[in-house]
Amino acid sequence: MITKNSKEIVAMEAKKEEKKKKTTNKKPGGVVGFIRDFTYGMATHGMARHALKTRSSMEHLFILITMGDMLGIPILPPYYSLRLLPHVVPQITTWKRRMLREKDFVESLY
Amino acid sequence: MSLADFFKQYPNRRYIMYGGKGGLGKTTFSAATAYYLAKKGRRVLVFSVDPQASLSDIFERDIFGQGNVEIMENLFACEVDADKRIQDYQEEIRKKIMSMYGMKKIPEEIESYIKASSAEPAMEESAIFDAVVDIVVKGDFDYYIYDLVPLGHALYYLSMASIYDAWLEKITKLREQMREYDEAIAVMKREEETEEDQIYNELMYIKDRIGTSSKIMTDIAKTAFFFVLTPEEMTIVDTEKAAQLFARYNVPLSGYVVNRVIDRALLNENIPVYLKNRIEMQAEALKIIEETFGSFVLGTVPEFDSEIKGLEIIRNLAEVMFEEKLQ
Repeated sequence: MITKNSKEIVAMEAKKEEKKKKTTNKKPGGVVGFIRDFTYGMATHGMARHALKTRSSMEHLFILITMGDMLGIPILPPYYSLRLLPHVVPQITTWKRRMLREKDFVESLY
Repeated sequence: MSLADFFKQYPNRRYIMYGGKGGLGKTTFSAATAYYLAKKGRRVLVFSVDPQASLSDIFERDIFGQGNVEIMENLFACEVDADKRIQDYQEEIRKKIMSMYGMKKIPEEIESYIKASSAEPAMEESAIFDAVVDIVVKGDFDYYIYDLVPLGHALYYLSMASIYDAWLEKITKLREQMREYDEAIAVMKREEETEEDQIYNELMYIKDRIGTSSKIMTDIAKTAFFFVLTPEEMTIVDTEKAAQLFARYNVPLSGYVVNRVIDRALLNENIPVYLKNRIEMQAEALKIIEETFGSFVLGTVPEFDSEIKGLEIIRNLAEVMFEEKLQ
């Protein structure tokens, strides 16, 4: 199912993430940096992971509501949905994979 | 009240629409009203979004897909090419995707979604009403006369607009929730800022477009909606039903205009039985119209002996409709 193109998108997205990290995540190095990373790992990493997971579930729910007809679930005419399409292109592949997994996809929504 | 009185009394009603079953004279009435208002010195745009648009026929000029074409002083006409509009729109989306992600080609699954979208039946209505928003928001005309697509489409869109509204509300809320998560994650990860949510902005844009387009059809201060009907029982029944439906969606119904009335004076002449019967039938129907719509009938227009085409005949029609000599 992963076409050459979707691999390309994943790569694009990774690049984008990297760039974002570089610009927004300037952590000081040295001992202070180490302690900061350490406490982050101890205390908040689990929480952040959970939040990220919920966030991505929401993202998938959102794409389902706006672009459900891609999976054959017609929800609303696509005229305005098309406007949203460019913004979710990188997520489409993982979204489809997740939604079409064998287990009941409604279960996976939340 | 007559049609002319109506326009005098409600000068703020700048969006004029004629609705009714197909082939009853919506386009001719639109053209004649545009002609009358233009002669009165107002800048008028008469436009059509029907793929079988007949403004080109009536003005005897090919204006399809050519923007606002000047027909005479103050009078402009426009026929929107819905198909082309959809194609342009899809192309715009493709370009946006390619530039956002630096791609040379749209991924297959995305491309097939874009292609499939144009086959959806509601795509055209949505594109049409979006086109109308574009035309109207410019606001550089005194009057916009909307040669409406058949009733079904308009009703469908109005009901769509309310569904769309509820849908947008829900997903906007979801989006806001997602935003909260983004912020919380950023705090936990000690990132200084989160990216602006482009999707949220798009949703607000969509909300605005839908709001504007349904407002055009339902704003009682600015819009006047006239029904065209002919003196035939079937048409009267259908018109009454349609009027009730429109009223439910708050379309400001302003009156009815009866078209194709055969002159009763003909009965005194030597005419075939067929024509006599038709005149009698119309008399019956006119009685029903009077009982049903009463003072909301703003005018009756006789059957013309030739097709309404060209400015000369449009003027004749306008003179009858507005009971005034125009030069």
